[in-house]
Amino acid sequence: MGPLEELSEIAGGLENEYTARWKEQGKKVVGYACTYLPEEILYAVDLLPYRLSGRGAQDTSNADAWLSRVNCSFCRYCLELGLTGEYNFLDGAVFTNGCDHIRRTYDNWSEHEQALPFMYILPIPHVLDEDGYRWYKEEVMTFRDSLENHFGVKVMPGKLAAANSVYNQTRRLLRQLYNLQAGQAPPFTGAEMLAVLTAGSRIPKDEYNRLLESLIEEAETRPGIEGRTRLMIAGSFMDDPEFIKNLEGQSAVVVTDTLCMGARSCWDLTKETGDPLEALIRRYYHHASCPRMAGEYKNRLAFVQEQIKLAKVEGVILEHIMFCDLHGTDNALLKGDLEKTGLPVITLERQYGPLADSGRIRTRIQAFLERIGG
Amino acid sequence: MSEQTLERNIFAEMGNRYERVIKAGQEGTPVVWHPFNVAGEIFHALDLVPVSVEVFTTYAMNQLPEGIHPYLDLAVERGLPESMCSAQRGTIGMYEAGFLPKPDLIVSTLGGCDPNSKAYEYMSEKYEVPILYLDVPFHSDRRAIGYFEKRFKDLVTALEEMSGRKLKEDRLREVCELANKATELILDINELKKKVPNPVPNIYNLMSIATKSAQQGTQEAVDFYQNMLNLSKLRLAQGIHVKPEEKIRLMFMYTGFYFDPSYYGWFEEEMGVTYLSDLLVFHDCNPFIDLTSVDTMLAGLGEEMFNMPMTRQRKGSWDLDKNWLYDVLYYADTYQVDAMVFSGHAACKQAWGAYRLVAEEARKQLGVPSLRLEGDCWDSRVTPMEVIKGQLAEFFETVMESKN
Repeated sequence: MGPLEELSEIAGGLENEYTARWKEQGKKVVGYACTYLPEEILYAVDLLPYRLSGRGAQDTSNADAWLSRVNCSFCRYCLELGLTGEYNFLDGAVFTNGCDHIRRTYDNWSEHEQALPFMYILPIPHVLDEDGYRWYKEEVMTFRDSLENHFGVKVMPGKLAAANSVYNQTRRLLRQLYNLQAGQAPPFTGAEMLAVLTAGSRIPKDEYNRLLESLIEEAETRPGIEGRTRLMIAGSFMDDPEFIKNLEGQSAVVVTDTLCMGARSCWDLTKETGDPLEALIRRYYHHASCPRMAGEYKNRLAFVQEQIKLAKVEGVILEHIMFCDLHGTDNALLKGDLEKTGLPVITLERQYGPLADSGRIRTRIQAFLERIGG
Repeated sequence: MSEQTLERNIFAEMGNRYERVIKAGQEGTPVVWHPFNVAGEIFHALDLVPVSVEVFTTYAMNQLPEGIHPYLDLAVERGLPESMCSAQRGTIGMYEAGFLPKPDLIVSTLGGCDPNSKAYEYMSEKYEVPILYLDVPFHSDRRAIGYFEKRFKDLVTALEEMSGRKLKEDRLREVCELANKATELILDINELKKKVPNPVPNIYNLMSIATKSAQQGTQEAVDFYQNMLNLSKLRLAQGIHVKPEEKIRLMFMYTGFYFDPSYYGWFEEEMGVTYLSDLLVFHDCNPFIDLTSVDTMLAGLGEEMFNMPMTRQRKGSWDLDKNWLYDVLYYADTYQVDAMVFSGHAACKQAWGAYRLVAEEARKQLGVPSLRLEGDCWDSRVTPMEVIKGQLAEFFETVMESKN
């Protein structure tokens, strides 16, 4: 099995051979739900960070009894998997107050009989300044202490420095992939790239790095995709390659993104000198921001524009999950600002989960591609 | 003063407020837009002209001949997602329509409600208006209060710099004294609400939201609360309360419906239901401000703001100290509540996400039942008032059956 095939398989299901092997070694797996959680702290004490997903649930009937139709479908699908025991292979779950929806997902899951042995919410400030940084640092240290107490582990500086290094290597390799995608003939479709990114959030990063190295070697042997309209996708959380595949069809290719699972997670490195915990916390606090961070819109716009330029993007898809006000509102601002530069932009409101409205979305994208001239 | 006169005065304030905003622009007095959970005293102390956006939408909705719908729709047509809160959408739409001049400054709070804070960021970015953010921490402990108070003091410094107005101690004390008087009156009115039957008119709740949010720290607010207290005392002396008798003491678990004030009268005249309050109105936890120094006064305003509705109950998990469950249990118990209603305002995603947890716990601990509605507190088209009344009437029947 080649690296792409293997990564795609990992992205396709909740449990995989890596999580199984990890558990066989007597080690624990901890779910997490946001890019503001410094995963390296978990990794440094042999806890496998596993990004929570809602994929695999067929409906949200159990979750809807607690959340509601005005709560985002990603959170409802996640909660559904939690409440029905599909996440019982996890030994804990760590949330943040990333948005109103996800923090209520935590509230409901942690009160339910299917709550995992370790449930934690890490509060994050909503502004980026020194007071906020100090608050975040204290919260991360409290989280570290809770983790140590619950799992009977100790986060040692040397181990954390090593974890920082492994994670930085992941980011460098992903940047290489993004650079390849930015070339004239990208080796992978956007759907394949999203599968690669998703897989990386579910397996140990050292193993992931080996797979990425093989994938980059494989990329050089692939013919490359030419003659398709080059798109960028930005917006709400996404881990469903089928959604991207539906967008791309036969005439477009998603060459870059500013998704939290994608470019936003790998663009900033952790400083590898000095106190590893301090360096880690600074990296996570200041990494390419989510729309939850107030006063950072212009930086987010600049990041989007940087990706557009690097990947020679011809059209931008701004998507948001229905009722995701943070991305929905940022997208409204981005649309206005990007269109001023003459770039074609489409905004899509979507539901997370099985592709119920794939036909509607495909039709809109086809019209968009015609507008671009693709 | 009768409650009808008080109601007329409150809505007449819309015209006064609008004129003040227009005049401020002409005179060069900075106009500040802010959400209802900001302690507006600081703007009065700096002699700025504050516009409490959600209150402004409410005033406009009840006073403009065309209502608020065209403005709610215009805000969406111009880009704002429909799932955003109609309380800000109304004012945003009025601005888009050219009804309001551009503000000089925006102040926003963060952490209680994503749609609320995101709406203010949207206004700032789209209309190119400078904005100051006040981050609200997740918890309510001493550390959190310290973090918040420092941020509030930093905000005041920034307000001075951006507005070119220096905070004067005497003026701040004058405003804080008035705020304390109003707080005392609010608490006196709340004491009357504890009586069975409750003599405070139901419509007080709508008027109080507007007054507390837009006028706290002014003589107008003191006058309003004094008049309402006098009226309530008179009603108590004369045995006037909901008709024909107080059958049900009702509390709204978060917001009420603001698009049709007639329902306060419907509760009172036809249902025998006392509308004790919604959680935006009670203010039992509102602190008295220590007038000793600028520092103590700012600390007091910071504490007031930390305990404002939405900030207090929405910033962290549902069952944390001094959060949503805590307040629901306290108010339901203290005011002898028989039944509760969750209005189900569509934009309140955080409230929707924890409603069942809170409702079930309240039933378990106090035996108080609750009704979950679906609607929009400022947009009558989502669930019309007649439908809401029908659902409430059925609920009241059930509550009465179980009471009997």
